Amino acid sequence: MLDVGRHPNINLMAYSEVQKVEGSIGAFKVTVRKKARYVEEDKCTGCGACEEKCPTVVPDAFNEELGTRKAIYAYFAQGIPSTRTIDPDHCRQLNGKKCGICKKTCQADAINFDQKDQIVELDVAAIIVAAGYDVFDPSRIPEYRYREIANVVTAIEFERLLSASGPTDGHVYRPSDIAARAKIEQLEKTLNKTTKALKRYEEKFGEASEDFYKKFQNGQFSDDEERKKWASRYEEYLGISGPLQELKKQAEGFSSAKRLAFIQCVGSRDFRFYPFCSGYCCMHSIKEAIIAHEHEPETTSAIFGMDIRAVGKGFEEYKIRGGNQSGITYVRGRVAEIMEGANHNPIVIYEDTRERKVKSQEFDMVILATACAPTKGLPDLAKVLGIELDDYGFVKTNPVSPVDTTVPGIYVCGCAESPMDVPESVAQASSAAERAAEVISLQSLNKESAVA
Amino acid sequence: MSNEVLIIGGGIAGIQSSLDLADMGIKVHLVEKLPSIGGKMAQLDKTFPTNDCAI
Repeated sequence: MLDVGRHPNINLMAYSEVQKVEGSIGAFKVTVRKKARYVEEDKCTGCGACEEKCPTVVPDAFNEELGTRKAIYAYFAQGIPSTRTIDPDHCRQLNGKKCGICKKTCQADAINFDQKDQIVELDVAAIIVAAGYDVFDPSRIPEYRYREIANVVTAIEFERLLSASGPTDGHVYRPSDIAARAKIEQLEKTLNKTTKALKRYEEKFGEASEDFYKKFQNGQFSDDEERKKWASRYEEYLGISGPLQELKKQAEGFSSAKRLAFIQCVGSRDFRFYPFCSGYCCMHSIKEAIIAHEHEPETTSAIFGMDIRAVGKGFEEYKIRGGNQSGITYVRGRVAEIMEGANHNPIVIYEDTRERKVKSQEFDMVILATACAPTKGLPDLAKVLGIELDDYGFVKTNPVSPVDTTVPGIYVCGCAESPMDVPESVAQASSAAERAAEVISLQSLNKESAVA
Repeated sequence: MSNEVLIIGGGIAGIQSSLDLADMGIKVHLVEKLPSIGGKMAQLDKTFPTNDCAI
């Protein structure tokens, strides 16, 4: 990533979108919209002081909304280019409110609220589409109750929980517990404010709030406006402190998730959604189970699937190692339903096809191995480029020329073409790069022969 | 006639294509929709089967 930012031959245009493409192989005219960051990339030093001071807190998309970020943010810590961006949907200043704290904080004078989108015109010989994929939305499968049961998460969400740079610093806390902790924090803040207000009244009237409130309830001071306010503040205090104590008691029992269930083929190999196998999810689940076990050696995992497709060099060995050393049980069977039990524990109901019995099992957390779906913007991009998509919505290619799209000079690689894992994406990317380079070297060959 | 290439998407595939072409001496424009490149792979903690760090 860093190399891309530094390479003299690469013009990196992040936070930009392709708007128009005209022409044909060897001579495409491309219009790119560079969206306004409201931060001048060349001035920003990436120190992050603005982010620290920004008062607006927003769910963090990079952490699958399990954590929060500010309205001025770096998409992720090691992101390239290492500059900040202001989110125009949430920034107070850009929404007409008084703020501008980031501008006052920035020593490099990089914040520019007047920045406008920029239109850039490019002339290129070839185009490579590497638009990637989207995670299948499992709420389309009602029986898995994703979003209804807090502790049912997608594989990519679980990945963020496992990551040392993620919202939980790599501790596998359950989303229900994370939400409860956030609630405690919020209640404590409000309680602090209320306690301060109560103290002011206590000092003024020289009486403890509790004693005053008893008198107030007995009908004293009923025509004193200020004491009425005091009483309502005290009621507010009582309304918060009770639930807060209860939540805190519950939170003492919170620990990391130790009983994990992985459900395979969520949206893939399913005729209701995507009939194809996404290919990488079996290995992804095994990897996550192994890493979770590394983080917390008491962790056990059950992987529910029709079969485990460990196709690749060293993959089968990895699967066996997971079973032998990382507490993974492979269960053959499709999960019929997920229910919510006590303590927000998901209960998985499934048929064990080896024993031909319907069973149910309680877990701390369920991870859904979601299908690789075409990215949302792909149909629009295909229209701009004039390329065709296949029946599933991925870029159409030919089996004997897997990186060539239906338009000469436009090539495709990675999950925009079909589901594939990292090494396959990298191999295809090199292949697409070579096809694009061919266009340019043919051009210069033709030029030379024309001269000769 | 141009001798430059446009790459749409700054995930692992787009990054690899860009570097390959740039190392061949070809000028590359890499367009990414999000504020940073890295794509889905940057969200991964480790990669199988070696458990290498993804970033």
